[in-house]
Amino acid sequence: MMKDQLRAVSGQIIAIGVALLMGAIIILMVGESPVRVFMTLLRGAFGDQEKIAGTLLQTTPILICGVAACIGLRGGMFNVGIEGQLFLGGFAAAWVGFAMPLPAGIHTLAALALAVVAGAAWVAIPAYFRARYNTNEVVSTILSNYVAVLLTSYFTIFLFKRPGGWSETPPILPTSYLPEIFTFSRLNWGLVIGLMLAVGAALVFRYTKWGYSVTMVGSAPKFAEYGGVNVKRQGFMVLLLSGAVGGLAGGVETLGVHHRFMEGFAPGFGFDGLIAALLANGSPVATIFTALFFGALRNGSLLLEVDTSASREIITVIQALIILSVSAQVLVRKRGDSRAGERRWKF
Amino acid sequence: MEILDRLVNVALIAATLRTTAPILLVALGGSFTTKAGIFNIGLEGQMLVGAFFAVLGSIWTGSALAGVACGVAAALVFALVFAVLVVSFKANEVVVGLALNILAGGMTISLMKAIFGTRGSIVGHGIVGLPKVQLPGARDLLGSWAPLISGFTPLVYVAFIAVPLLVLCYNRTRLGLYIRVVGEKPEAAEALGISITRVRYIASLLCGLLAGLAGAHLSLGYITMFTENMSSGRGFMAVAILIFSNGDPLKVLAGCLLFGFADAFSLRLQTFGYPSYLVLTVPYVVALVALFALSYRARPRVIAETLESMRKLLSVDKNAEPGGKSPS
Repeated sequence: MMKDQLRAVSGQIIAIGVALLMGAIIILMVGESPVRVFMTLLRGAFGDQEKIAGTLLQTTPILICGVAACIGLRGGMFNVGIEGQLFLGGFAAAWVGFAMPLPAGIHTLAALALAVVAGAAWVAIPAYFRARYNTNEVVSTILSNYVAVLLTSYFTIFLFKRPGGWSETPPILPTSYLPEIFTFSRLNWGLVIGLMLAVGAALVFRYTKWGYSVTMVGSAPKFAEYGGVNVKRQGFMVLLLSGAVGGLAGGVETLGVHHRFMEGFAPGFGFDGLIAALLANGSPVATIFTALFFGALRNGSLLLEVDTSASREIITVIQALIILSVSAQVLVRKRGDSRAGERRWKF
Repeated sequence: MEILDRLVNVALIAATLRTTAPILLVALGGSFTTKAGIFNIGLEGQMLVGAFFAVLGSIWTGSALAGVACGVAAALVFALVFAVLVVSFKANEVVVGLALNILAGGMTISLMKAIFGTRGSIVGHGIVGLPKVQLPGARDLLGSWAPLISGFTPLVYVAFIAVPLLVLCYNRTRLGLYIRVVGEKPEAAEALGISITRVRYIASLLCGLLAGLAGAHLSLGYITMFTENMSSGRGFMAVAILIFSNGDPLKVLAGCLLFGFADAFSLRLQTFGYPSYLVLTVPYVVALVALFALSYRARPRVIAETLESMRKLLSVDKNAEPGGKSPS
């Protein structure tokens, strides 16, 4: 078993190498030096303690979104709507933050709780139709992202705009802040929440009956049904839980980083989380490392924009290439068992 | 007053046809992959690279037609990568499709910055758009109804002409038959000696061709510019249409007209001063409601299909793996 895991990890690393190579070619195509770009990324991600804290700050939402995606993937559900859940969760937390004066501590918890509820509520309809009528959840959650982004923009600009401000809500009250860990960075306890969630999810999947049945439904639904699991109910709960965690990611981002909700808040974290979870093969603990990797890329890309002529979206290209090469190479390894690879989320 | 009403209606219908065309082109492309049994969520990305490279080609060559060709070529490359990974390597189609969409978004923005030094959008720079086609005699024949058939850019006509062509293709040609067999009964196709791999490659490439045209239409016909992520979910709406139409060209057309109407109607609402953010959600909400409503309506078929597929699974399992698969 250990050997299998080692082989799986080495496979992912080879795939990342291949993807970086292809990325280098694309960087050459856009007229930059790949070495310079990669060195700048590295410097931007880990150059000094502030940069490292910044990387961890970027890692936080990716990690929480990644855990949300892991929960879905384990149960055989593609929650591609984490982005939308994040936006609604972020807005809900901000609303509690600026509109409801509460004592410190309780305020933060209340805001996070509403973020969780908002995320779960946003995925509830796609989840219901997926469970009950087998409506494709990939399409319904993707489409609901667009609605979520527009809807939160509408709330922000037409209903709760800060007077004189620029498409943002009023700032949240300091009682609802997630406390910062260091003085030199906005890095906050959200990271700890993310780590706890990842470890907690891993423990639930490994040691509880419920976690086992989720994994069973995801990998062998017929077997799970035969074993007495209510597959439909389970599917609904899995998506709901995944959406709840997605909403939490938004809440953490609002209370820990921005201290308000604004248009274009936290773009792409939902998708980064999904990619991180895919790269980690649905394992929440492995997602900690893949999220860190993507967080580093993101933070490094800020310096990229300053120091080189490449745009920061080049890291999106690299991420996509990684997923493509992982999806190809692991299947090369498994080619003997061709039917097994078909229509499963695992690579 | 009556005349005014009629004019407004004609204008709205013409606007509907205009907004329908891009989504119709991409959905008809997806019809090939759907019929061939591939769930292609990568339409969005193919459309986006099509739009970007169409603008690029048009600037480089100074010809709109060459631009369209460039856009199609780029979309075909994406379709080929999709086919290699999904058909040959049997990678998960959702993962590959999503990754290609993300790649398309990042790549177009990176290239835009590298080539034009700007973010956001490409306007001007000598982009040559597709000309509007004025059908001779339309005015005499239809009078004030002429805008319904005349004055569109060429790819609008291509989109609507493609519908009967696809119907013919599926019902009257060998390729169409093969595509349907491969999608509906792959084992039958195998037994008949049809190469599933080859048919799925062809279907993917035909899909790339139409998705590329859809992209080119978006950036050279519908408007003459390129904007970041300008496909704005049309590829995903097309996938929603494909799910409930099962890829049948006429049902695809009906679905696309519904979205085209929602789009045109929402544009009109905006001019009446409704908040644009809410109005812009209309097409997506329509897509979601249609998806949910039609899957609710389709529920008995789902059960029948499930029974069918279970039976298939059991019989295939019996032949292929006598011991049954142990849960791993």
